[in-house]
Amino acid sequence: MGAITHTPAERTLIDLLDGAEDWRAAARDAVVRFGLPTKRAEAWKWSDLRRASQGIETAGTAGFRINGAAAADRVTLDRDGELELVAEAGISVASIEIDVPAGARVVLKERYSLAEGAFPTARLEITLGEGAQLERVVLCDTPESSIPVVRSRVVVAKQGHYRQATLTFGSKLTRNETHITHAGEGAEVELGGVYLLEEGRHADFTSTVTHTGPGGETHQLVKGAVAAHAQGVFQGKFKVEQAAQQTDAKMTHRALMLDDRAEIDAKPELEIYADDVQCAHGNALGAIDETALFYMRQRGLPEIKARALLIESFLAEPLDLISDEALREELASILRQRLGAIG
Amino acid sequence: MLKINNLHNKVETQDGEEKAILKGLSLDVPAGEVHAIMGPNGSGKSTLSYVLTGRDGYDVTDGEMEFLGEELGELEPEERAAKGLYLSFQYPVEIPGVPTITFLKEALNAQRTARGEEEMPAPEFMKFIREQSKALGVSMDMLKRPVNVGFSGGEKKRMEILQALILQPKFLILDETDSGLDIDALKTVAEGVNTLRSEDRGMLVITHYQRLLDYIKPDVVHVMANGRIVKSGGPELAHELEAEGYDKFIGEAA
Repeated sequence: MGAITHTPAERTLIDLLDGAEDWRAAARDAVVRFGLPTKRAEAWKWSDLRRASQGIETAGTAGFRINGAAAADRVTLDRDGELELVAEAGISVASIEIDVPAGARVVLKERYSLAEGAFPTARLEITLGEGAQLERVVLCDTPESSIPVVRSRVVVAKQGHYRQATLTFGSKLTRNETHITHAGEGAEVELGGVYLLEEGRHADFTSTVTHTGPGGETHQLVKGAVAAHAQGVFQGKFKVEQAAQQTDAKMTHRALMLDDRAEIDAKPELEIYADDVQCAHGNALGAIDETALFYMRQRGLPEIKARALLIESFLAEPLDLISDEALREELASILRQRLGAIG
Repeated sequence: MLKINNLHNKVETQDGEEKAILKGLSLDVPAGEVHAIMGPNGSGKSTLSYVLTGRDGYDVTDGEMEFLGEELGELEPEERAAKGLYLSFQYPVEIPGVPTITFLKEALNAQRTARGEEEMPAPEFMKFIREQSKALGVSMDMLKRPVNVGFSGGEKKRMEILQALILQPKFLILDETDSGLDIDALKTVAEGVNTLRSEDRGMLVITHYQRLLDYIKPDVVHVMANGRIVKSGGPELAHELEAEGYDKFIGEAA
């Protein structure tokens, strides 16, 4: 195979990572050899990053902040906090490693503050010690021209409890990747995701949960609603290794097409090497219930309001994972506002 | 109050063909009166209720329908609702995730806003709904549950009447309100409807059976067949139908 011709975005990224070490060097090497992923790569077939990044040619800056201050590369989190990904216009790279010590119980609010045209590639490495509990509440509300690509790798030790609730409104391309190593033995993982995509937006939830030890539980529920010329992507995979007997894992993706011209792509996968497990996945796409819509209008609700109420009631369920009522209501109210605008 | 003249409509069938349902229906319900429409299955009774309330796919192809002096045909369903038209559904719809009490408050305030009235303050609304619920045996617990979700047939019909008591419409269309009700539930629902009878309110009671009309006494009974009213008379007509069946009227319509 001959050398590829790099796009301006790729050249900028290669220059940006010149002389870098560790994972940055590996990332640079991958871009040198293969370029940014395109739809020809199986894992990116519905999210062509190379194409989306056309027109972004300059380097930008990105970084994580914790509780309002620039974060160190590696932090220990033993109390509730706020994590913020900040990125200026252009291509940028950010990374943070978070340790939640054994026995700690932490709620982490996470939000993205991106400028127009920001294309940050962010890496999170999260480790939960034995019996640690982390609840990660992610709000991904970014400009349409931005391209957030956020890849989280989470290692959950036995007796650990990892809970993640993500609300995203998409952009030119938004990729929320979560890869979990699940030790089982009393450990539990709950993943909730909501996407609401206005015209022209894209959002991609990609996740893998690998059960490596026995008796682990995983529950995943992702719900979406997609307008005309917008695209929602769900790729979920549960892998159960041979040692992970008595795993109990359930994956559900449900989405509403708000228009015939909406696109929703889903690929739920189970890969199971243990013989005594309970694993299931469900995937359902549908349209708004026209009978319910008429019923609500007959009672006097204007069509836009009735639609918004129906979509909200459909979408809100994964946000129930959020244990703090004020925080849950904050996200629900952001969702409601966006629904009011979508009509 | 409600004047329907020579009403025609077509609906699209599942194989994409157009089918005429209402074929020149005329009807006049003055304020203060309760009219019953009886007819066999497939005569177009439910279609009439959807045409009057403006459901998508139930457009008028010919004729007029006037409510309080205004033509309804061009109005959206929510505009007709705000003018005071209320349909109690044969099959009330379940709306998961929307608590009944929230739904009713939103609906009432949307109607008031559309009429240029002030929204009802929350404490007043709570007091109002508590009073009205009590009479129908609807608990606060039921009101907090999502609209119609997990309710029995009888509970759903009681909820339909409760909604009417809250929204105080000027005109009620009751579509097969007796279906799925045992006799006790039927009495409760009928009592609710009877409290809504008043000189400035009209009602159209659509039913297959005469049974409901023992409890909601109509002023006029119409027999509907093949998309038209084929006979009108007093309450005794309902008993005549019950005794003799619809056959002879269908014969007249054909």
